[in-house]
Amino acid sequence: MHTVLIDDDYISIFLTTRILQRENFTDTITSFQLPQEAIHYLQDAMPDQVPDVIFLDLNMPIMSGWDFLDTLKPLEAQLAGRCSIYILTSSVAPSDKLKAEEYSLVASVINKPLDGPKLQAIRTQVLENRS
Amino acid sequence: MSESAQFVNSEQRFRSLFENNLDFILFQDRNGVILDVNEPFLQLWNCSKADVLGRGISDFLPPELIPVFREKLIQAFQGTRVQFNVAVQFRGAEPRVLNISKVPLRVDGSVRGVHMVARDITDLTASHQMIEQQAKTLNTIFESITDALFLVDRDWCLTFVNREVERLLQIDRQQVLGKNLWTLFPDEVGGEFYHQYHHALAMGQAVHFEAYYASLQLWLEVKAFPSEEGLSVYFSDVTLRHEAQASQEKLAQDLHRQNQDLQQFTYIVSHNLRGPLANAMGLSQLLTAPDPDQATLLSHLQTSLVQLDVVLQDMNTILTVRDKQDVADVPAPTRLADVLNLVLQEMNEPLQQAGGQIIRDFPEDLHTHGNRAYIYSIFLNLLSNSIRYRSQQRALVVTITGSPHPEGGAQLTFADNGSGFDQEKAGADVFKLYKRFHTSPSGRGMGLYLVKAHVESMGGTIAVESRVEVGTQFFLFLP
Repeated sequence: MHTVLIDDDYISIFLTTRILQRENFTDTITSFQLPQEAIHYLQDAMPDQVPDVIFLDLNMPIMSGWDFLDTLKPLEAQLAGRCSIYILTSSVAPSDKLKAEEYSLVASVINKPLDGPKLQAIRTQVLENRS
Repeated sequence: MSESAQFVNSEQRFRSLFENNLDFILFQDRNGVILDVNEPFLQLWNCSKADVLGRGISDFLPPELIPVFREKLIQAFQGTRVQFNVAVQFRGAEPRVLNISKVPLRVDGSVRGVHMVARDITDLTASHQMIEQQAKTLNTIFESITDALFLVDRDWCLTFVNREVERLLQIDRQQVLGKNLWTLFPDEVGGEFYHQYHHALAMGQAVHFEAYYASLQLWLEVKAFPSEEGLSVYFSDVTLRHEAQASQEKLAQDLHRQNQDLQQFTYIVSHNLRGPLANAMGLSQLLTAPDPDQATLLSHLQTSLVQLDVVLQDMNTILTVRDKQDVADVPAPTRLADVLNLVLQEMNEPLQQAGGQIIRDFPEDLHTHGNRAYIYSIFLNLLSNSIRYRSQQRALVVTITGSPHPEGGAQLTFADNGSGFDQEKAGADVFKLYKRFHTSPSGRGMGLYLVKAHVESMGGTIAVESRVEVGTQFFLFLP
């Protein structure tokens, strides 16, 4: 299992990384504080080395989580079935959940902080999605 | 012979004039005895010349008029021509108004007799009275309508002014009638009223408009109708309606702003308040189990709590500024140069470290009526942004130019050659709270929000233009 974290907040990256490690969720973790760099990374990884899971923050300067998803649109078909995107946000605004439904690549919206039970549910979902 | 013929001729001419005149004519001596009389007179009394000649005029007059005729006759015999009007009621006839002339006939310097000419002016008098009555009625109507009304002729001279005009424009009609409108109101020449009235008169079209009469701070609703004679102008004071509209618009704006504030508040709670809180929750959860890197966890926990506190303090600052927004105090004039000097002193060290240079180009006495603390905050925030987001490619230069605004206050341009931002992407978010356009070094997205709030609370405006790696320019107007 390969996981990518995209979040401009270094404490949040630290925290999520530590929880993923504790729960043995993934073999490798790659994290980005700039979504633009994550885009380049994904383009280079296509099609065989795309990550299984991406945790994506929404509120970031210059390129927001939504901008990231829009930029990824052309790759949607190639990513479908290989890569699940989870929006990991501190936002509790219902409008964000509604908007997420417009993006087929988004598996679910998770409220920060990530914890054991949430990760367990995600693991189950990812495995189902793959099979 | 020829002299005699001329005489006869002249005599005949006189006789013809005398007999065929439509007026009643008679010739009297000093005692009022009738010596000659013309045909219309005889027809009026239906009698023959023989019945009249030798009798006194008094025999033909109603008793109450006898003294008047006698007195006038005496005046005429003194050598003056007299004229007077009398109302006469002859028996069995309609009342008539007669214009009487008594003309003395002088022979060798003395008055030998008097010609009395009576003209029936009953119809003429009636017409005059009717015209007078109509004018009076019209005047009463013009005076009693609630609209102000004035008339000007084609040379813009006032020919009529009603009482409401006197009241509204605080003028006295005796002082203005006959005078040129534009001489009386020189400030309005070239203004809205001037253009509308000229248009109406030139095109022969009625105009209807609302305009502000600055001299008395009145909003007037005006209708002007052109005619052959000139222009009739009706107007009324609609200042109250305008004020009501303005306050309604302000209310709507306030409501809109508060609504936006509320949305922004939700956003802050969702992202900026809950962000560090979520981190703190996650970190404390991790700390419940032993961790080899406990010190880092604790340090991050502390950072998250400090961030939380900063957000709460920010919100306090914002609410304070917003609350003061409606306080309509009029502060003393503030010299912008003084405030800028303070800010430059405060920012001297970071400016030196950044190798920055300030170019100022505005008059030393340039001033505004804004809140001094707000102006300080505006300069401080703009300058620290310029330093923070300076370009790594070149030395920072900040240029501050200013000039008095034509309508009072000051206009300022605050320009840097820094890293700029993508304006198309930033869009309407530039001045929004916690919106950031640079990843590093990180700001909170608070500065420009405060700048805008301060500018607007003083009644000013701010706009921005920015280009990536070229620089950013802020355009301010401070009243």
